[in-house]
Amino acid sequence: MSGLDWAVLAATLVAIVVYGSWKSRGVHTTESFLRAGKDIRWWTIGLSVIATQASAITFLSVPGQAYQDGLGFVQFYFGLPVAMVILSAIIVPIYHRLRLYTAYEYLEQRFDRRTRQFTALLFLVSRGLASGLAIYAPALVLSAVLGWPALWTNFVLGATTIVYTVLGGSRAVSRTQSAQMALISVGLVAALVIAVMRLPAGMSLGQGVALAGALGKLQGVDFSLRFDTRYTLWSGLFGGLFVQLAYFGTDQSQVQRYLAGGPLVESRLGLLMNGLLKVPMQLFILFIGVMVFVYYQLSPSPLFFNRAEWERARARDGASVAQLEEAHAAAFAEQRAAIDRFLAPGAAPAAVAAARSEMQTDQARVTSLRRQAGALVARTLPGSDPKDSDFIFLRFVLDHFPRGLIGLLVAVILSAAMSANSAALSSLGATTVVDFFRPRFPGASDRQTLLVARLATAGWGLLAVGFAAFASLLDNLIQAVNILGSLFYGPMLGVFLVGFFLSRVRGPAAFWATVSGEALVLAAATFGKVGFLWYNVLGCLVVVGLAPLLQVAMPVRPGPGPPS
Amino acid sequence: MAADKPATAAVPQADVRPPLGTWGRLYALVLGVLAVEIFLLALLARAFG
Repeated sequence: MSGLDWAVLAATLVAIVVYGSWKSRGVHTTESFLRAGKDIRWWTIGLSVIATQASAITFLSVPGQAYQDGLGFVQFYFGLPVAMVILSAIIVPIYHRLRLYTAYEYLEQRFDRRTRQFTALLFLVSRGLASGLAIYAPALVLSAVLGWPALWTNFVLGATTIVYTVLGGSRAVSRTQSAQMALISVGLVAALVIAVMRLPAGMSLGQGVALAGALGKLQGVDFSLRFDTRYTLWSGLFGGLFVQLAYFGTDQSQVQRYLAGGPLVESRLGLLMNGLLKVPMQLFILFIGVMVFVYYQLSPSPLFFNRAEWERARARDGASVAQLEEAHAAAFAEQRAAIDRFLAPGAAPAAVAAARSEMQTDQARVTSLRRQAGALVARTLPGSDPKDSDFIFLRFVLDHFPRGLIGLLVAVILSAAMSANSAALSSLGATTVVDFFRPRFPGASDRQTLLVARLATAGWGLLAVGFAAFASLLDNLIQAVNILGSLFYGPMLGVFLVGFFLSRVRGPAAFWATVSGEALVLAAATFGKVGFLWYNVLGCLVVVGLAPLLQVAMPVRPGPGPPS
Repeated sequence: MAADKPATAAVPQADVRPPLGTWGRLYALVLGVLAVEIFLLALLARAFG
């Protein structure tokens, strides 16, 4: 990075921390620390909800995913708008009516304290570990590509986030996220413009899109009913609905964003804004990845995008690396010739069809060579990741973006990490205080409670940074992030659904059903061979199915029923 | 006989159905936009695939 890039990056990060700290003025009570404020409007809530879900990995991984698999990943988000409608129509009004700070308070009002605290504990464990990984993941990629020490990147990312989150709580988080989303939007538009501008002279955007389509990168919808395909219309609509309902309805890092203290209408509108914007936003990021793919079909691409690992592999087994690179160069040259024939103006349809078929064959060869390169890296460097998709976009940015914009794009990635982490830390602090400290010390003054909330937020932040320092011991980071959420979301959603819809079920039955659901998910994860996305379904169905059965088996005791 | 029925007996549907309401329209908008996005994506795949 040049001096200008460093200046842009430093100025952006300092501006975010100063803005967040400035917005934290007037946060002198627990109420103002835990809630963003009565004056919060729906667009701030909507931006905050979007920013909380969009972590740094979104901007590092998603374009790389499009490079490899095309637009198909967008289907994962098809259930999200449906989930937003269900939340807005049914669940958020319940939360608002009960004037909750955390989602888990509902469970005590509906069932009992231990069900509330057990579910809150599941959240603390999952979100606490995930926030450590969310700091470490971008630090890992940035350190590998830019040569920054991972430990220092962890520390700077964590410390800046902790400062404004501890000072300003939920209010600072929501306001800062609006600014971060503005920055992210500018960065993404700039990325797409640069990617299109980098196409060879004389080549139109339409030709680029046609090339991407011919090579299968524009298959955004898969109508097949295959269960072995990860992303289809149906898995996105139904499985995605499940995951998004659990995430937005029971994960306090999201619930805190829309239970911000303002009127119900603002919360509902904020969620609907998310429902409207999420799919186009993901599509936009994926399209950037598709354009990066098009660029690399016309200009020589690295065989393995994690350059540091590739060079280490070369040092260990130079002959194999050279052999693969030679085969890659030959495949690229043949594919480039076929592309020229495919795009040639006035070519006969038969010649275009032949060129297209040849391009696809060459593309399959390149894909196979990339896979072999990953296998070579894994073989020569035990413990390293054979996948390089997280490095594709950043590699493109560093190699092809003008000075200044590189700093902006790195700032976008760091901003995304900070926004997701600040929301996580704020929600962890809120849950610790509201669901554990307050019930244990009901006589604590507001001043004491605020102090504990700030200490808890800082404590979770330090724990996340500490965990991030040891996260390198994990084999596959992104996989770990995904699996972690899926270990807990199913039973969490299950107990909330029992609360909302099964009015006869009381506390003990709900509690033991949740414990059983969680135990079963952990057992399935340890001993089973089920894909991790199914843990969500399994955990939820066990809780929803078991709770009424346990209720029948257990003697009915007087206790809280559904809140009116 | 059908002709003997007073004209007012036929109640228009709009009078018996509850109005969609602002929220209903917003929900329909969100789901409608999703349906249009899926349709356009399918069209894009077909056009360039």
